[in-house]
Amino acid sequence: MTRERLPHPAGSRIDRTRPVTFEFEGRDYTGYAGDTIASALAASGVWCLSRSFKLHRPRGSFGFAGDEAGSLVQLATEPNVHADTRRIEPGMRVQAQNTVGGLERDWAALLGHFERFLPVGFYYKAFYKPRGVWNWWEKIIRRTAGLGRVDRGWEPEYFDKAYAYCDVAVIGGGAAGLAAATACGAQRLDVLLVEREPELGGWLTYGRQGPGDSTLDDLRGRVQALPSVRVMTSAICTGWYGDNWLAVAQGNRLHKVRAKSVIACTGGTSQPAVFRNNDLPGIVSATAAQRLIRHHGVRPGRRAVVLAAGDEGYAAALDLAENGTDVAAVVDCRPDPPAGPMASEAEARGHRILSGHTVREAGRDPQRLQVGGALVTRVTGPGSCAADGERIDCDLLVVAVGVAPAGGLLAQAGAKFRPSAAEAVPRLASLPDHAFAAGVVAGAATVDEALAQGEQAAQAAATEIADPSPATHAIPEVRDSNESAPFWPVFPHPEGHEFVDLDEDVTVREIEDALAEGYEDIELLKRYSTVGMGPSQGRLSAIATAAVTAAARDTTSAEVGATTRRPPAAPTRFGLFAGRGFQPVRHTPMHRWHVGAGAQMMTAGLWMRPAFYGRPDDRADAIADEVLAVRRAVGLIDVSTLGGFDIRGPDALEFLERAYTPSFRRLRVGRARYALLTDEQGVVVDDGVAARLRPDHFYVTASTSGAEQLYPLLLWYQAQWQLDVDIADVTPAYGAINIAGPKARRVLEKLGTDIDCSPEACPYLAARTGTLAGVDVRLLRIGFVGELGYEIHPPASQSLGLWEALIDAGREYGIRPFGVEAQRVLRLEKGHVIVTQDTDGLTHPHEVDLGWALGRRKPFFVGKRSIEILRDKGLARRLVGYAVPDRNAPVPEEGHLVVRGGEITGRVTSSAWSPVLDQAIGLAYVAPEQAEVGSIIAIKAAGGRLIEAEVARLPFYDPDNTRQAM
Amino acid sequence: MVEPRSPIDDALRAAGGSIGEHAGATVVIDYGDPDEEAEAARGLGLADLSPLPRVGFRGPGAREWLTAWGVDLPDEPNRACIQPDGAIAVTRSWTEVLVLGSTQSADSLCARLEAGTSDAHRARAYSLPRFDGLFWFALTGASAADCLAKICGVDMRETAFSSGSVAQTSLARLNAVIVRVDAGATPLFHLLGDSASAEYAWASLLDAMQEFDGRPVGLRALHALAREFK
Repeated sequence: MTRERLPHPAGSRIDRTRPVTFEFEGRDYTGYAGDTIASALAASGVWCLSRSFKLHRPRGSFGFAGDEAGSLVQLATEPNVHADTRRIEPGMRVQAQNTVGGLERDWAALLGHFERFLPVGFYYKAFYKPRGVWNWWEKIIRRTAGLGRVDRGWEPEYFDKAYAYCDVAVIGGGAAGLAAATACGAQRLDVLLVEREPELGGWLTYGRQGPGDSTLDDLRGRVQALPSVRVMTSAICTGWYGDNWLAVAQGNRLHKVRAKSVIACTGGTSQPAVFRNNDLPGIVSATAAQRLIRHHGVRPGRRAVVLAAGDEGYAAALDLAENGTDVAAVVDCRPDPPAGPMASEAEARGHRILSGHTVREAGRDPQRLQVGGALVTRVTGPGSCAADGERIDCDLLVVAVGVAPAGGLLAQAGAKFRPSAAEAVPRLASLPDHAFAAGVVAGAATVDEALAQGEQAAQAAATEIADPSPATHAIPEVRDSNESAPFWPVFPHPEGHEFVDLDEDVTVREIEDALAEGYEDIELLKRYSTVGMGPSQGRLSAIATAAVTAAARDTTSAEVGATTRRPPAAPTRFGLFAGRGFQPVRHTPMHRWHVGAGAQMMTAGLWMRPAFYGRPDDRADAIADEVLAVRRAVGLIDVSTLGGFDIRGPDALEFLERAYTPSFRRLRVGRARYALLTDEQGVVVDDGVAARLRPDHFYVTASTSGAEQLYPLLLWYQAQWQLDVDIADVTPAYGAINIAGPKARRVLEKLGTDIDCSPEACPYLAARTGTLAGVDVRLLRIGFVGELGYEIHPPASQSLGLWEALIDAGREYGIRPFGVEAQRVLRLEKGHVIVTQDTDGLTHPHEVDLGWALGRRKPFFVGKRSIEILRDKGLARRLVGYAVPDRNAPVPEEGHLVVRGGEITGRVTSSAWSPVLDQAIGLAYVAPEQAEVGSIIAIKAAGGRLIEAEVARLPFYDPDNTRQAM
Repeated sequence: MVEPRSPIDDALRAAGGSIGEHAGATVVIDYGDPDEEAEAARGLGLADLSPLPRVGFRGPGAREWLTAWGVDLPDEPNRACIQPDGAIAVTRSWTEVLVLGSTQSADSLCARLEAGTSDAHRARAYSLPRFDGLFWFALTGASAADCLAKICGVDMRETAFSSGSVAQTSLARLNAVIVRVDAGATPLFHLLGDSASAEYAWASLLDAMQEFDGRPVGLRALHALAREFK
């Protein structure tokens, strides 16, 4: 454990008093609390963490910042964990991913020998010839595709979501972010500071600072002293959507942040150089080396070569040397590097500096899965270097050739990044409204520049919040760099393995081959070659890809452009998207009673309704018993799910005349009428009953399934017609109980009511208000099920009490509750259609024999003109009732086809076994010439069996309607 | 006599709610530990006020009619105004008002207004059955805004949503009216939504309250808050 450990003050994030033992690839390792998996392993000299996706080459972490596929490992219950950011825990079991037989001896590495048979885009060209061979390949591909292993025994965790709000969201808690948050907080703006690391400070927590730089403690202290600044650490902003809606993942919670302004201080990503074997474990960025030293107290190597193209490489060399690493050489790609402060210090300390040189190729340690040396040669031009040079033994190769702005989030929001003509590294070129940027992402090269930009961005955001009318688009001014290399360090090698994209094993040659095949557009190139499609999503490959493309096409990186950046900007667990969704459920006031009575509940939209009462095994018998109870005695059903609308005002009648198809002008107060609704195309969309309670007050019911859509539709009509009318959705305010059967009246009278329920005083289609068992009710005498029936609409809060009272009162009459299934049978016996079950998106009233419900003399109702045109055109189908004469034939099912020879002429929409008629009956669409009563139709049942049915006159039951009018 | 019941009556009883009478309404007085509930109401408590009176009016004559009946109305939509008897008048639009009966004393205003609905109808102030159509919960305590942030997209913090504010929004994907009328320094949100979804809303709120150690409280806890306020 301590072999590579550095003494305090190195290791700010580890607690040396708390050793933590964990397992990696079956061996125990011990680190300290605060270590990541990768830092603890590095402290033990283990750098190889995984095998690469395609060629199974040994891989480790390059940036130690949770970016690349190389650091993905498997935990016992979680795949694809970044070993360089996940902290170790006692007993943690860690395994390498994408290996066959283990990390050390991965048999799948043999694929490397067949590399020439796996050229770019090979998966588009192979596997499908000869015909049928795909079925064989598919099994193999599915076995090898994907990374990691899902634990199928995993116990679900609780994930949820929460909104957060602020004036200014500052994304990134480095120097720029701290300065921005402090400046905003000082102006008493409500600030949310989001930092992905466990502590604030960013580069300041691990970078080598100059003598005059601001101290981290000072910056942190100023932020923490401001009450209006809220700090979220270990929180990753993964998405930046319209109107500054930010997705911030923290632990098991997804924060949905609404910010007036956003200041992006997302920093940058240290880039790899492209040379042969640049993927070996132990080749790391300068910031990775510094993180290991300052965060984790790990000496990254014993002998290092530093490949530099700027001052940060020299800073890393100084840090390494001060912490016991022998820096064999600083290899600077630039022919004549300017004397930056770190370079000058390195030179003063006598470091060996090789200007105008590069690493042509890295060599592997013959004993271990990591780098063992570097071939350093002279740079001969952009992208070329001498073949021969000096071989330097090293166990660490530090790369510091440039930093790309971490602009993924900004790009999601609409910001543009563009390299200047001579450069490869993109620069911020434009910002969307209410967005600002500061720090490295905006081009700052020093801490002082970052701090200044942070304060400027804060000022701009504050100004805009005070007066949001003119949106500000201030791009921080960036001085032109004269320190970078005149070309991006990409050095193709005749023997290959110079990886442009380490995630996907994409080499320089593969990019060039894809370009040669014509995939020149950067988006096509990405999809064809898979460059940028791995876990790092191009953060470590985009610049090199553009540079290789530009060189091949003899153009510039600016001309090549960049691929579209999409959320999430960082790997995000599915639980965060899926966690704690909300799915409202609606219960009728009698819901608990139904459950207690043994009802089998079913969903109807958002509602729960009793399907039938009894055990599932007794379904058929229970439904039949419920049907017979209604036909012979009395039953009651909870129909509270029906929609209910109060339509009131001087123009209430006019509104109904326009919205519904029948005419209500002759409907007297105290009467109800069937109300059919069609849309502008004449299609049946809903039906119900309209009861006139006052001259200017109608109570209109709607179907369970249609009510929710109907209310906004009625409001939409009213918005256009501007009538003097109020439309109120009172659906949840009223329960509804349909009591039906020859003894229904006796139950009401026994219960006590001030409504005269006699046939003379309360005939069929009467609508009354009064009291029942002391409860104010609206009472409609209607008969959906074809028996003497009353639809009672009590206030919701008293509905259960009234239901219970009805049950009590009806006991002596054999009352029993019935469910939706029995109701379907009862109404089918009566020949009533159910809109949306017996109608579809094309059904017009004449097809379903509802022409009688059309107010033909009305000058207008919605759909009138369309219905007339459809009628004049002639019917293409008709809904008819049918009965199956053969009582031993199977009962057709809804959806079964009506056929005539080889022709489909219709389909069954409703079907049931009628216990009263003792035969199968149903409704079906048929061709018009099949609609005559007595016609024989063929219904194609399961297995192709043809069932003969006879078109019947509707209704099947009580054709004279004497029972419902009794 | 069929008594009105809360749409979550079963859930309240199952949770050990002690049912009692307040000003003619049958409500949960407490859950067995009034002191702890009073403390919870300061931190995070949820009370069911559904059995208490409330009434709505909408129409071109609503404002005028209510004013004539002595209701003090806010000057703009989406504001709440406390009446002399403790009732709260909520303007949902220029033409719609919701009146929540007093939680502290016997209701007088709602009963008076309900008695006048025929007169209101003539004045084109159409009554709306809010007592039966909307559940009514009260969410109280210092953590209430943070708790609501888990199920509602509107910023309910005092800086953005001060006492007297009204939001017509989505609460756990339910259409809801949220009325903030603080009890002194203690945030208090009245939550009203589709009574058919009351059980769902209650369960969603209790789930969201867990991390704040929130709990159901009875009317007595709200009265304790009010006494502190006074």
